[in-house]
Amino acid sequence: MLSRVAESLYWMSRYVERTDGMLRMLKINYAASQDAVSEFSWSPVIRIFCGPEPEGAEGIEFNSRAVLQFMVTDKNNPNSIINIITQVRENARSVQDHITKDVWQCLNEYYHTVKDPKMKAMLKKDDPISVLDILIKQGTLFYGTTEVTMPRNECSSFMRIGKYLERSIQSVDVLDIKFGSVDHNPDLLTNTSYWKHLLLSIGGYELYLKTYRQGIEAENVLEQVVLNNEFPRSVIYSMNQLTKYFDRLKVDGDINPGDLGFLIGRLQSKVKYSSIKGLKQDDLHLFLAEIKSELYGIGNAFNQTCFSLS
Amino acid sequence: MIKNKHTELYNLPSNTWDEMFDQLKQVRSEYKVVMDYLDLESAEELNKKEELSKVLFMSQGITFTVYNSGEGIEKIFPFDIIPRIINAEEWEYIEKGIKQRVTALNLFLKDVYSDQFIIKDGIVPIDIIYSCPHFLREMCNVKVPHDIYIHIAGIDLIRDNDGTYYILEDNVRTPSGVSYMLENREITKRLFPDLLPQCKVRSVTEYPNVLYNNLRELSPRQIDNPTIVLLSPGSFNSAYFEHTTLARLMGIELVEGPDLIVEDHKVYMKTTAGLQQVDVIYRRVDDDYLDPLVFNANSMLGVAGLMNAYRRGNVTIVNAVGNGVADDKAVYVYVPEMIRYYLNEEPLLKNVPTYQLGNKEERAHVFENINTMVVKQTNGSGGYGMLMGHAATPEEIEAYKIEIMKDPRQFIAQPTISLSSAPCYMHGVLQPRRVDFRPFAVCGPSGITIIPGGLTRVALKEGSLVVNSSQGGGSKDTWVLS
Repeated sequence: MLSRVAESLYWMSRYVERTDGMLRMLKINYAASQDAVSEFSWSPVIRIFCGPEPEGAEGIEFNSRAVLQFMVTDKNNPNSIINIITQVRENARSVQDHITKDVWQCLNEYYHTVKDPKMKAMLKKDDPISVLDILIKQGTLFYGTTEVTMPRNECSSFMRIGKYLERSIQSVDVLDIKFGSVDHNPDLLTNTSYWKHLLLSIGGYELYLKTYRQGIEAENVLEQVVLNNEFPRSVIYSMNQLTKYFDRLKVDGDINPGDLGFLIGRLQSKVKYSSIKGLKQDDLHLFLAEIKSELYGIGNAFNQTCFSLS
Repeated sequence: MIKNKHTELYNLPSNTWDEMFDQLKQVRSEYKVVMDYLDLESAEELNKKEELSKVLFMSQGITFTVYNSGEGIEKIFPFDIIPRIINAEEWEYIEKGIKQRVTALNLFLKDVYSDQFIIKDGIVPIDIIYSCPHFLREMCNVKVPHDIYIHIAGIDLIRDNDGTYYILEDNVRTPSGVSYMLENREITKRLFPDLLPQCKVRSVTEYPNVLYNNLRELSPRQIDNPTIVLLSPGSFNSAYFEHTTLARLMGIELVEGPDLIVEDHKVYMKTTAGLQQVDVIYRRVDDDYLDPLVFNANSMLGVAGLMNAYRRGNVTIVNAVGNGVADDKAVYVYVPEMIRYYLNEEPLLKNVPTYQLGNKEERAHVFENINTMVVKQTNGSGGYGMLMGHAATPEEIEAYKIEIMKDPRQFIAQPTISLSSAPCYMHGVLQPRRVDFRPFAVCGPSGITIIPGGLTRVALKEGSLVVNSSQGGGSKDTWVLS
């Protein structure tokens, strides 16, 4: 398989995963902002998906509508949904002969949906959740279409590797930023609605209730998001999937694994055998930072091992 | 007896062959079933179909991007829902004529790049060949597999007012449009359920298989599974949709220049598992951009060293390099002579009468009668750089004459041929619009196959004679009846 094609598939899939995470996050936070009695700050969300202090986001931290427009339809924000989906579609377009026609049409329609001026208008003055739901559905369609139509070959392995790498980075990011805020405001540690929103925004609230049954505690949230293998957005679940598809790639793709196998295996073990309950705040931050940097390391190793020829 | 609404509202253009109606405004027999069907449909239904066709093109991404003030706008190529129909008898004649012509052109290429008998025998003047910018000395005495230069040809046909078919031009470099032949048919299946089998329309879906089998036979290595790739200039090319469609339908790898590398005079593609040797390249990149070491040194689309690998016979390039000398419009004039010379046959399909402006007397004649002429550049394509004498202003004509005098060899002129008209569904009624027709011939070691169908291009502006998509033309599905 062409290195260029592998890279495009990987990024196409990573980007869809990113928009999915973003849209769900936006939806829950918007709902929370409607509940908030004091001013609701969007700065953690902006930080997760657009980096610290992105250009064009000055002074909008407390303005829900402005944040939504900035993150969904603003063409000047390189990390907006519209720009990411344009990238997705460009990547898909250049590998049309490697994805099924259904998958291509699905992403093409996603693109035309985001670009529709109606979306922008609705986001400005109508119910933003309707807009977010329409877009989330487009992403879900992509997942389903991929599942049903894509052959289980090298292509789909690269797509899944992109997807799970992106997802684990996102989960770690969310934890890091949420726990980071506790540094400045220790009261948050015991604020149940703070942790409830975290769970909701990554779709883990119901599972939490079934697993822990008593009130919401930061420690348990951390455990679920890092270590619960039943939770599809947990770090360990993503790592296991990543390992699985990497192993498959070694067989199907005949690639030379180099350092990659080592890096993935090491991180998987590190996460799996970590004891995070009772970690002190400082150590926790260190732990998350390490995982994140190893995840980036894996991304770079893919660049070098599989894509560097292009 | 004219009873139905569509016929009544149809303004038959004067002095023009209409594909659907004869001069007495009777529906030609091949269109009967379609006309009956259209008569039963309300305008509302037809509008819905038109709308559906647009949605289908859009959602499948069969679009091109127009960049306007930094904003990319997606557009579809205009498609008219009414099919253009060719009956079995006409098709048989077209098929024979094109086979004959392509055979002769292929022999010509073989000859002109080796012994040049046709020049020595005084059939084609030597200066016509050597002044052609697409005649590549780099190709002289290069042996190509099976002596096939033209693997894929798109021959443009038009019809004059008496219905006679003429060859408008030969496209034997990298003819495009075949994906529209395939996609238009898919759309028609959705628009007019059951109508295709009812009319006994021949299928066009075989095209990718025929082409693939041919490409496979051209592999220089005698192995089971040769690597065949389609070389595209990349996703910004306006024909990119066609490249991906063909690669997908043939199951071959779509590559861009940077995906390939030449080592030790062999071509490889860069894969996740290392380098993999390439045997056949179906390229959609022009000669000039193929190899920066031999041709345009600034090209980013090609592969350095490709020509050397090609000349050594380690890779087959489809179509062959240097074919431009055969579809040059000044060489076009000599194609009927070529057919007589190489095949000892009379040409079945006629050329449009053509004046070479490099020739003094012919130039004088053209300048005198410029209002009835179409003047073209010999190596132009896409409808650019043409002068339509009947529609041009005196200033435009004067400016164009100055251009001609700079290098008269590069221009030819043809009397304005009216082009046949075909019904198009526009603004709720059937209206005549001018059409041409490009069937596609695939030539391989086992002979020439012409898929029963092709691309019918339409000039969408009323009265316009220019069908090129770059000049606001559209397309139609083309039905060949069995």
